[in-house]
Amino acid sequence: MKFKIRYSDQIVGLFIIVAFVSFAVLIIMLGAKQRWFAKDYKYVTSFQSAAGIGPGSNIMLKGFVIGKIDKLSLNKNNTVDAQFHIYDSFYSKVRTYSILELTVSPIGLGTQLLFHPGSGDELLEEGAFIPLADSEEGQTLVELGLVEIPLKDDTITRLLSNINPVMENISRTVVTLNRTLTEVNRVIAGQSTGPLGSIVVDASTAVAALPDTMEHVKGLVSDVRENAMQLLEETTGLISEFKSIAGNLNETTESMRDPKGLVTKLLDPKGSIKKFLDDDEALYRKVNSMIGELEKSSKSLQSIISSLNSEMPKVASLLNETKTAIAKAQDVLEGIKNNPLIRGGIPERMDLEPLRSSMREGSFE
Amino acid sequence: MLKAIGSGLRKKLSSTLYNLGFFYNVLKETARFFSRSQVGYKVLIMQILFTGYEAMLICTIMAVSIGAAIIVIASNLLPQFGQGQLMYSILIVIITRELGPLLTAFVITARSGTAIATQLATMVVAHEIEAYIAVGLNPISYLVVPRFIGVVVSMMVLTIYFNMFGLLGSFLVVQLVKPIAISEYLGGLFSILSPGDVLSGLLKAFVFGIIVSVVSTAQGFAVNRASTEVPVAGIKAVGQSFIFLLLSDVIITLVQYA
Repeated sequence: MKFKIRYSDQIVGLFIIVAFVSFAVLIIMLGAKQRWFAKDYKYVTSFQSAAGIGPGSNIMLKGFVIGKIDKLSLNKNNTVDAQFHIYDSFYSKVRTYSILELTVSPIGLGTQLLFHPGSGDELLEEGAFIPLADSEEGQTLVELGLVEIPLKDDTITRLLSNINPVMENISRTVVTLNRTLTEVNRVIAGQSTGPLGSIVVDASTAVAALPDTMEHVKGLVSDVRENAMQLLEETTGLISEFKSIAGNLNETTESMRDPKGLVTKLLDPKGSIKKFLDDDEALYRKVNSMIGELEKSSKSLQSIISSLNSEMPKVASLLNETKTAIAKAQDVLEGIKNNPLIRGGIPERMDLEPLRSSMREGSFE
Repeated sequence: MLKAIGSGLRKKLSSTLYNLGFFYNVLKETARFFSRSQVGYKVLIMQILFTGYEAMLICTIMAVSIGAAIIVIASNLLPQFGQGQLMYSILIVIITRELGPLLTAFVITARSGTAIATQLATMVVAHEIEAYIAVGLNPISYLVVPRFIGVVVSMMVLTIYFNMFGLLGSFLVVQLVKPIAISEYLGGLFSILSPGDVLSGLLKAFVFGIIVSVVSTAQGFAVNRASTEVPVAGIKAVGQSFIFLLLSDVIITLVQYA
C-alpha cells in the first residue's frame, strides 16, 4: 500500500492542524500588532470641522502613533465632538494641559492630528476633555508655556507655523479695520453715537461755524487796523516834531563848535548873551515855559505809548486765536480732503482777481 | 418553435428544481453525517487527501509566485508616487481577499471537480449507484456528502495555506531580489491586515467549496447510460463551476464593499 494511502489519516490530520495552527498564530500576531487585547484610554475633544479626519485617523506624537480617533459626531452648536483613545504604552504622556493640533500638509499630503503633552505633573483621567491648539483654551495654554510643542518636522511646515501667528495678527487687523470702516460708515451716515461720531459732529459744527468765526475775525482785524493806523498817524506827527527839535539841536551844536560863532558871541561880555541874559529873567521864563511845553509833549507821548502797550496783548491774543482757528480749519479741510468716503469732495475754490489789476491793465507778455 | 421554447424552459425549470432538491438533500445528509456511524469517514479522509493535500504544492507555487511578483512590482513602482505603504494593501487585497480563494477554487475545480464528476458519472454508467441503493446505502450520504465536506474543508485549508505562503513565503523569495527587513515587512503587513480581510477570504473559500462540490457531484449524477457522457459531465462540471465561482465572487465582493 502506498505510504500516502496507508497514513492518509495522519497526513490529513497534520494538513488540517498545521493550517489551523498557522491561522491561529497569524490571528494572534495580528491581534498583538493591532493591540486587540491592550487597554486604551479614552478621551474627548472638539473640532471645528471633521474635514481631513475620520474614525481610525492616527494621533501622532513625534512621529509615533499613540492613539486613534474612535467616533465623530456633529453637535447642536455645529462643532464636531470627537472621541479618541490613547494607547496604554503612551498613557504617561497624557498629562494635564495637553492639547491636540490638527495640521494640514501645505503640499496636499493630507492632515495630521498631533498630540502635544502638557507640562503638568498629573495624568489626565480617562474621559477628560483635551482642547485643540486653535481653540481659545488651547491658545491660552500655549501662551502660558504649559504645553511642550516640538519644532515642526519639515521646513515648509516650520515656515508656515511661523507665518501662522503673523497671519492671525493680519487677520485680526483686517477684522478690526473692517469694524472701524463699518463704524466710520455709520458715523458718516449719522448713525453712530460713539466718540468718533461725536468728534465728527463737532467737526461738522465747527466747519459750519467757521464762516461766522472768520467774519468775526475779519471785523476784529479791521478794528485793529484802524487803531493801528491812528496810532501810526499820531506817532508820525510826534516823530516829525522830534525831527524838527533834533534839527534845531543840531544847528545849535554846530554854532557852538564855531570859534567865531554863536557861543563865543554869547560868552562875550559885550555880546548879545550878556545883553540877552540881562533881561530881568525874561529868557529864563521863556525857557521854563518851553520846558513845560516839552514836558506836556513828553507826557502825551508817554500816554500814547502806554495805550499802544495796553493794546498789544489784545492784538497778540487776537492773532493767536486767528492762527488757531486757521490751523483747525486747515486740519478739518485736510481730513475732509483725505477721506475717501465723502463722495463728491469739496468744490475747488475760485480765486477772484482784484478789479484794480484786470487783464487789460497788465502787459500782454 | 414555440413548442421547442416551452419544452426547453420546462426542462430547464425541471433541471433547476432537481438541482435544488439535490442540494437540499446534500445539506440534509451533511447535517446527519457526523452523528451517524461513519461509513463515509474514510471516503472523507481520502477526499481531503486528494483534493487538499495533493493540491497544496501547486497552490503554494502559485501563492509564492504571485506574492513575490506583487511585492517586487509594488516596491519598485509605488515609491515613485510616494505611496510605498500601499504595497501591503495591494498584497492583502489580491492574496487574501480575491486571488487566493479564487485561484484555489480554480485549481480544485480543475483537479477535483473533474475527478468527482467523472468518477460519479462512471459509477452511474456502470450501475454502481443502483447497487448501492440495492444494498440500502444512500448514494448521497455515502458518495456525495464526504466529497462535499472534503472539498469544502480542503478549499478552506488550502486558502489558509495560500494566504500564508502568499503573504510570508513570497517575502523569502523577494529577499533574493530586493531585500526588505523582516520587521519592516511584518510591521507594515500586520498594521494593514484586518480580520475582515482574512474572514472574507475564508467566506469565499467556503462558498466556492460548496459550489465546486455540489456542481461536480450533480453533473456526475446527471449522466444516463452512455460512457461518452462521462467526459461531458467533467467538462460541464468545470464550465458551470467556473461560472458560478465568478458570479458568487462578484456578489460577495459587492456585498462587502457596497
